[in-house]
Amino acid sequence: MTGGGTAKPDALIHPITRLSICGLLAAGADWVEFAALRDAAGISDSVLSKQSRVLEDAGYVEVRKGAVGRRPRTWLRLTPEGRRAVEGHLAWLAQLEQAVSAGIRDAREAGPIPSDRDQPLPSDRDQPRRVLPPPLLGGT
Amino acid sequence: MRDAARDPAALEPLELLRVQRGRLADRMRPPWWYLPGAAIVWGLFFAGPFTSRSFSSPMAVSTWAILVPAVAVCFLLQWGLVRATGLKVGPGPLRVLQDGLFSYRPGRPAGIAIALVSFTGLGAEAALIRHGLPGAAIAVAALAVAAEVAAQRALLRAIRQDLRGGGGAA
Repeated sequence: MTGGGTAKPDALIHPITRLSICGLLAAGADWVEFAALRDAAGISDSVLSKQSRVLEDAGYVEVRKGAVGRRPRTWLRLTPEGRRAVEGHLAWLAQLEQAVSAGIRDAREAGPIPSDRDQPLPSDRDQPRRVLPPPLLGGT
Repeated sequence: MRDAARDPAALEPLELLRVQRGRLADRMRPPWWYLPGAAIVWGLFFAGPFTSRSFSSPMAVSTWAILVPAVAVCFLLQWGLVRATGLKVGPGPLRVLQDGLFSYRPGRPAGIAIALVSFTGLGAEAALIRHGLPGAAIAVAALAVAAEVAAQRALLRAIRQDLRGGGGAA
């Protein structure tokens, strides 16, 4: 879960859409077709097109255009620089996840938070019970 | 980092990425024609010992009559799989020559199994043909084809698992 690179956040990859694109391209496939990436990421054509151009301009993604018959096909893959950045960012996120999990575990080990149905605290025992006023039967 | 560590919302990007990788991995399911096509390729491969070079029979065919269709169907299958799934997985032929046949980590066990079945199958077939047992050689070839197709399915399963797990990236 830590990847090969050093854990380092990357501002360009951090937005969720770009993180999805880069994370999917780093998943193990060499080249991923535009439609496959769009469907897996659950984003629209225009969003993928725009964000992939940003990543391409930054040198993180390589885009290859071709055609099968009359249908144009666009293939994307991470460049070595992009792969390093993604691995570093994902490692950083994984560290964050571990820290959050450890925080939740510590909170659970500290004990449950008492609810209203639990025994009242000693200081509450001396307090008089509040009685709700009866509902008004008639308006004035 | 300290504040983010207390925020469970920090988990959301990784959870989302896991779901998206699952979707990508599900695309790596072969179309209906892929495994029957693979069986044809392996069938042609294991028909090799029955060519005129090693099998002196009037029914024997030339090596080229088997080799050319086998290679053609193999390339057609790979092209079709890439087109159907939208994913190019594993090293290309140049990388295989450069880094070795088993350099692609997720496919290594299945790749070794494919190589082992190929060598032992061809060896057993050749030995049975030499001893005048072509029927047994055909049975061995059929078993070897079934084993190769099973290994091919295992290879695709390993690729799907690798995609789902993030390919070691995270």
